[in-house]
Amino acid sequence: MTDDQPKRREDEAEFSEEQSSLLKITMAPTLWAAHFVICYALVAVTCAKGWDFPTVRAGLLVFSCLVVGGISLIGWRAWRQWNVSETGDFINRRGRAEDRHHFLGHAAFLLSVISVIGAIFVTLPLVFIGGCQ
Amino acid sequence: MQKSGLPEPTGPYPPTDAMLAEPVPDEVQRAQEDRLRKVWETPKGWRYWSAVNNSEVGKWYCLTALAFMLLAGVMALLIRVQLAVPENDLISADRFNQLFTMHGSAMMFLFAVPMFEAISILLLPGMLGARDMPFPRLSAFGYWCFLIGGVFVIGSIFFDVAPRAGWFMYPPLATKDPGPGSDIWLLGLSFIEVASIAAAVELIVGTLKCRPPGMRVNIMPLYAWYVLVVGGMILFAFPPLIAGDFLFELERSFNWPFFDPTRGGDPMLWQHLFWIFGHPEVYIIFLPSIAIAAMVIPAVARRPIFGYSWIVLSAVGTGFLSFGLWVHHMFTTGLPSISLGFFSAASEAVVIPTGIQIFAFLATLMVGRVKMTLPMLWISGALAIFTMGGLTGVMLALAPFDFQAHDTYFIVAHLHYTLFGGMVFPVIAGVYYFFPFIQKKKLSDRLGKWAFWLIFTGFNLTFLPMHLTGLWGMPRRVYTYPTGLGWDGLNMISTLGSFIVAAGFGVFVWDLIRPKKDQPQIERNPWDAGTLEWSHDIPEEAWGVRSIPHVTTRYPLWDQPGMVARMDAGRYYLPDAEEGKRETLITSVIDATPVQVQRVTGPAWITLAAAAFTGGAFIFPTFHMYPPAIVCGVFAVVCILYWLWTSTARPPEADAKDVGLGLTLPTYAAGPSSVGWWAMWITMLGDATALASLVFGFFFYWTAQPDFPPVGALHALPGLVALAATGFAAGWALTVGARHLNRGGALQAARLCLGLASLAVAGGATALIGAVTPLDPEAHVYPATLWALAIWIAVHVGAGVIMLLYCLAGSIFGKLTPRYDADIWNVTLYWHFVTISALVVCAILGLAPGAL
Repeated sequence: MTDDQPKRREDEAEFSEEQSSLLKITMAPTLWAAHFVICYALVAVTCAKGWDFPTVRAGLLVFSCLVVGGISLIGWRAWRQWNVSETGDFINRRGRAEDRHHFLGHAAFLLSVISVIGAIFVTLPLVFIGGCQ
Repeated sequence: MQKSGLPEPTGPYPPTDAMLAEPVPDEVQRAQEDRLRKVWETPKGWRYWSAVNNSEVGKWYCLTALAFMLLAGVMALLIRVQLAVPENDLISADRFNQLFTMHGSAMMFLFAVPMFEAISILLLPGMLGARDMPFPRLSAFGYWCFLIGGVFVIGSIFFDVAPRAGWFMYPPLATKDPGPGSDIWLLGLSFIEVASIAAAVELIVGTLKCRPPGMRVNIMPLYAWYVLVVGGMILFAFPPLIAGDFLFELERSFNWPFFDPTRGGDPMLWQHLFWIFGHPEVYIIFLPSIAIAAMVIPAVARRPIFGYSWIVLSAVGTGFLSFGLWVHHMFTTGLPSISLGFFSAASEAVVIPTGIQIFAFLATLMVGRVKMTLPMLWISGALAIFTMGGLTGVMLALAPFDFQAHDTYFIVAHLHYTLFGGMVFPVIAGVYYFFPFIQKKKLSDRLGKWAFWLIFTGFNLTFLPMHLTGLWGMPRRVYTYPTGLGWDGLNMISTLGSFIVAAGFGVFVWDLIRPKKDQPQIERNPWDAGTLEWSHDIPEEAWGVRSIPHVTTRYPLWDQPGMVARMDAGRYYLPDAEEGKRETLITSVIDATPVQVQRVTGPAWITLAAAAFTGGAFIFPTFHMYPPAIVCGVFAVVCILYWLWTSTARPPEADAKDVGLGLTLPTYAAGPSSVGWWAMWITMLGDATALASLVFGFFFYWTAQPDFPPVGALHALPGLVALAATGFAAGWALTVGARHLNRGGALQAARLCLGLASLAVAGGATALIGAVTPLDPEAHVYPATLWALAIWIAVHVGAGVIMLLYCLAGSIFGKLTPRYDADIWNVTLYWHFVTISALVVCAILGLAPGAL
């Protein structure tokens, strides 16, 4: 491309991390999925093989806290990327690089909210159900 | 990594207003139009069927799916007639089983999923201002596979041999069922699933790489987001079913005991694999249909959608959460209650994103100035019905309630509410909304209202009473029932209602197919919509868009005045086809900066031939006719090779071309910047999911069985397994080496590497099969599973050897050169995946006996 449009190059440098952003917005739900699969698989094996349930349960509860913390961290960083408190733009509907940048932050933030809710939901059976019956 | 030496894009981008304002002389415009028209011309006469353009293939696809839907609807009517009165003997029990099995299977596999693909193939290029999908012949191949497989599966009912064990084919009923019914289901539908995955690959790559310049991900139409999510879901949902079908068919044909508990098998594995597919499938059907609502609602509310990011969130979120729900179809199978708890919790969580979409739609309607058009009427019906289905879904997600309602008509009512509200109504809304785009004609308002009210009232009359029928204890799938249980009247109402629905569909279909020759020319943008597809040409032109616009807003037709006139005048990109080739623009994934001009393929018969032979390879084994199946398989491979060799990744006549507005783009790309590489990556992701499902099966048996592997069982020969692993690793290294050497210009060495790689991996596969040869797969599920894993890898290695030899031939005959090396990049990518798969399998075969 030509050099007569310096604005665009600056944008590119500023938001150069974006090549991976489409995957980045799926990070929170991926953590939810990993948490879900690990809880389900470990409990299934524990019940089938007669492993010590209380230990596994305690471990999974700690693990769940870590996952909720991890998703929250992703959410916090996404919130910063969205940067709505400074831009005041809730919609990001324009076609500039920073709009796309903020939009991806917004989407990632909302997805981490839903993932936190999902992870807490999935943790509840571990809290309320005490055995393999 | 050495550069290929292909040129980079050069010239100003983005275009300035001054550049866009520059007029194009009239005679130049006319000459460009003539050239474009000639290149994109749809074949005439009997050659019409060789067309591959998305507008033609999409139409065939839609009409075929509609025909299958109507047939499955007639089956539903027969079911309702049989159930109208107690102790009816109109239809025999066996025939009834065939009817409900085919009704469900056809509605799901031959209507709902293909309809998504059909509509997307038809509409997506228009919404993205693209000329066509990136792989038109792949769409055509997928369509012909679908047609052949669909006719085969649904045709079986006319010969009284249709599958009859229910649409989810639970073993042991389905595995022990005599006659070809279950095989028709397994092989026919596997064949169609392959076509579905092909379409998903096409749609994902189309959305990621074929957007118009400037259309960053934050301004692409919501429909494109949904396509992306649903395409991804298909990649993770369909392969487990394909893996399940593979095991199931091995049991049916060769008596390998995967689902037979007397020899260590477990019918529950099928249920898991089926529902890991089956529940996401529901959302694969629902999301694209609700995507239609996301296009219709802004147009009728005449304002941008409210909460674009929220809708993206709900689409992506639903896509993820829907994979954590599958066991809610298995609540009564005796799993530990804590396991049920996980799935119950996730089933409740998925309501949140689903609800958000509906609230976003309602908010858009509330703040807009709604014009109650016919599409909007259907959307309203959809929202009402879907919400009802969602509410019963919340009830059923609670395991204790499900224990009571399981396998009763309550479930039938619930699923029809979700599918009619979530799929049928929005799709019909889409037909009314997009018909002017598709056929350049309008459908009748009066007939549309008749159809709506008939279907809406008939639907509620049929299915609302079923909730009660179910709660009063009537089980699903019974061909008749005794009188005096309170079910008689309710069933009669349901039957009457079903005929009202049928009358509504009669009106709708008549409106669709009635001749519209006398209709005056319609307006170009009849709904005053803001998205790009409404810049279509009237009367119809086959070129997709006259020139590919630079898009900077979500609703370009509202927010970028003068754009359509500029497009028509050819003042944007690719206004011409000087070389007489079909082309479309490839842009970058996130920001849609133009990166390449992609040559796309034109009309061909080879796709039809390839589909016919592929069909043979799947259909003959149904009747245990293996030699003709093998012959068909060989011819299918030959056809596909011919198709690839003659028309894909050919060295271009010039490395770069002027695409207008001063921009020059390369005409060839290899590796991650090419669409072919993306397609391979996405396909292999699906393939890896299928292998993961088989591996899941192995560990599932280990979890579920007290003795897996059984004490004293023979294991795979460790020496041969190690040899196989060495062969695969060496083959992989040689393949990667060949790619480097080829780019460096060391042609002889590259060819030698390709040859040696083929030998190494072929030797590896032989050793792997040798390692399991002493095991008897009919004796127990453990040897059978090892055999299945080995076969899976061997087949992939076979395909990989063909690819290596294809590259070798390409290098020798000048198709593959150091500069134009897309083929070897794609083949190397294939080998990355297959090598990892092969090593995983070697690890299981070699190490698991000691570790477990």
